[in-house]
Amino acid sequence: MSAAQPYADELAPGAVLPTVLRNASRVQLFLYSAATWNPHRIHYDVDYARFEGHPDIIVHGPLQGAWLSQYVTDWAGPAGRMRSLQWQNRASALPERDYEFHGRVTAVDGDLVTLEVWEQDPDGNVLMPGEAVVQLPRRDRG
Amino acid sequence: MRGVSTTSLIPAETAARVGELLAPPVTVTVTAEGSQRYAQAVGDLNPIYFDEAAARAAGYRSVVVPPTYVAYALVQGRALHDIGTDGLFVGDQPIRLEVARIMFGGEEWDFVAPVHVGDVITGEARLAAIDQKDGSKGPFVRITREITYRTASGEVVARTRQIGIAR
Repeated sequence: MSAAQPYADELAPGAVLPTVLRNASRVQLFLYSAATWNPHRIHYDVDYARFEGHPDIIVHGPLQGAWLSQYVTDWAGPAGRMRSLQWQNRASALPERDYEFHGRVTAVDGDLVTLEVWEQDPDGNVLMPGEAVVQLPRRDRG
Repeated sequence: MRGVSTTSLIPAETAARVGELLAPPVTVTVTAEGSQRYAQAVGDLNPIYFDEAAARAAGYRSVVVPPTYVAYALVQGRALHDIGTDGLFVGDQPIRLEVARIMFGGEEWDFVAPVHVGDVITGEARLAAIDQKDGSKGPFVRITREITYRTASGEVVARTRQIGIAR
């Protein structure tokens, strides 16, 4: 979906990826539960979520992982291929709140680019640190 | 058992299961309907997941699925009587632990080859590791399930290590 195609030989460690904002509606949480056949009540029943100790229904950890995956693949462009992605869900995210996705290049090795990527709340608390390796085209190889 | 003390949250019988298959392998045909509902629910409308021409223009042989979708293509539905009042699958946790609750702690994916709509994929889940750790809120258990996804010809397309945090 990215308009621009990044090239491995035009990137260096420290290059910063554009920030992307995500905000899940309650409808989105319901649809994600349905699409993944996940009936856990903490994602759609406020009373039950509170019973389990949460302040509200909570965003699925793997949905935030899927957002991180999309953050990387959108940036990598149509010719990019994500080779690995890992993340840690450290804290719960809530619906109807903004969360920021950030990234920066940490290494370039041939056509493989390593990214540090993470999700944080607007106060800068990191909810989900992660790392991705993306294979990108190089201009110097045609 | 190595490392098991009187305060262990991991029964010896559970520690002994590291490396075992957690369930019989599951095989499915990946459908456009399932993949596209997942992509829409995530909010990822990349045309390579919806449009043949866009997928080919990006170098794929046909429509592909979002990288993490393969895990959900293999989720098996359950009868209502196999789902608890909390919404969790009854009997889905073959790993016995002296803990109350398991939270999703993260994932480590390797994407080896793209998965296309129509591919026949088999997933095999193993208990890869189980360790007790000391956290700021007391001891917890880190459970790692490794799932390997293969095509009908046996080629590995993806592998994930799902981390569960139990306390």
